[in-house]
Amino acid sequence: MRRFTTTLFLAACVLVAVPTAARAQSLLFDYVGFDYEDPKAPGSQFGDVGNGYVGLGTVPFLFAPLVSNTTDNEYTFVIDGLTSTGFTVVGPFRVVDYSPGTITIYEDAKAGGTTADFGTSPPNPASLATFTDGQPILVGQLTAFRFAIDNSNGTGSFEAVFTVTGGTQLNLFPLNQRVGWTFSGSTGNALNIPEGYAHQIDGQTFLNEPVSVRRTSWGRLKAGYR
Amino acid sequence: MKRWLTNLGAALLLALPAGQALAVGPMMDWDPAYFYFPAPQPVGLSPSNQPAGAVMRCVGQISLFGPPLDFLNVNLPTREYTFFIGDLTSLGTTTVANGSLEAYITNYSGGTFTLYEDPARNSVFAPNPENGQVPSTFTDGSAPLLIGNFTGLTVTTNNFTQFKVGSIEGNIQWTGGSLIGELTGGGNEPCPGLFTGGATWNTAPNIGIPGYMFRHDGKLDLQCPTAARKSTWGQLKTLYR
Repeated sequence: MRRFTTTLFLAACVLVAVPTAARAQSLLFDYVGFDYEDPKAPGSQFGDVGNGYVGLGTVPFLFAPLVSNTTDNEYTFVIDGLTSTGFTVVGPFRVVDYSPGTITIYEDAKAGGTTADFGTSPPNPASLATFTDGQPILVGQLTAFRFAIDNSNGTGSFEAVFTVTGGTQLNLFPLNQRVGWTFSGSTGNALNIPEGYAHQIDGQTFLNEPVSVRRTSWGRLKAGYR
Repeated sequence: MKRWLTNLGAALLLALPAGQALAVGPMMDWDPAYFYFPAPQPVGLSPSNQPAGAVMRCVGQISLFGPPLDFLNVNLPTREYTFFIGDLTSLGTTTVANGSLEAYITNYSGGTFTLYEDPARNSVFAPNPENGQVPSTFTDGSAPLLIGNFTGLTVTTNNFTQFKVGSIEGNIQWTGGSLIGELTGGGNEPCPGLFTGGATWNTAPNIGIPGYMFRHDGKLDLQCPTAARKSTWGQLKTLYR
């Protein structure tokens, strides 16, 4: 039994050897839009426990391994499923942590499709539908989502671990390259924020370099443990 | 009194500029821009400490134009749109904390924003600026399309984000450039600009570049007042009858 366990462990090591050097990352997509809270308890502040976070907007730039055609298609994104689990006050900042959520990118033909329209007073199903129509080409899970907002001047930023989990282009992502991260700036100071939205957001998502695997022999591997 | 207030309100409505429809998208978006501190750098300079007097500059590549500059096409092979931010001066970094969580706030004074159009797509974020390519490959080309002065800019960083993420935001008063007339939003004077976006001091390959302090993913919005419709006194009065 012990030998079997050791063999299993060594096999796992061979398959998932992780390089220790800093890993090169690549830009996967760039997004810009607005956010709001839903659900939002009446009278609550942004990031209060239990409030949900939603972001939506357009994706003007997409990069490999995603395949896109921005001439013929409109690309939109929706961030949802995030719920505030608590916050910490640091000076004028409110640092809010969220439960896991998702970001989905949709591809919608410009000819015959529906142009994205933020509308007003979200949640607005009619507006949201203009962002979720078309094909969901990429679904990513967002974990460790953290939003820091400076309540003295309305600016902030968020970050999260990003993991590719679905979408019609999932198979374009190698199994060893589906993890990365995302970040965005946010501001409540832009005069073009549609009524009812909280912030303007502008972010990027990166993919980590593929996790490398080195070929070796059982003999060499065993020698390393003798 | 009520009639006087009504007249005042109506007069104010008429006085507002007849603007274009509210533009939801940014006037320009960049991908990316990098901030750096030219030599000689002050002792102790870091993302969490930008000593008073430290001079910060920035170069960036425009990736998208929206109204009112949406007639500019970044995809033309014979066009490159770049910007340079010169000589923001740090007023010193303030640290705020709660236990081990710290945030660092640095306000800057001065600074100019200049937008260029270049027939050669030659800009390169060469490491360790300033050098033979930075900022010169971002400032070549035509006479500036836009010139503006920052009226304030704030850098916020922290020690509580795992990917080293904060923000950089500032306001711009436009002063010149061949396209300044496009920024009036229907009024007589150019509307201010809002320079905003997220910043990261992550040094991972392909994210950070040696010699630059911050990668900035952001945009510039035109801060025009909410649009108003032209009307007559007669039409206005009928609304109150």
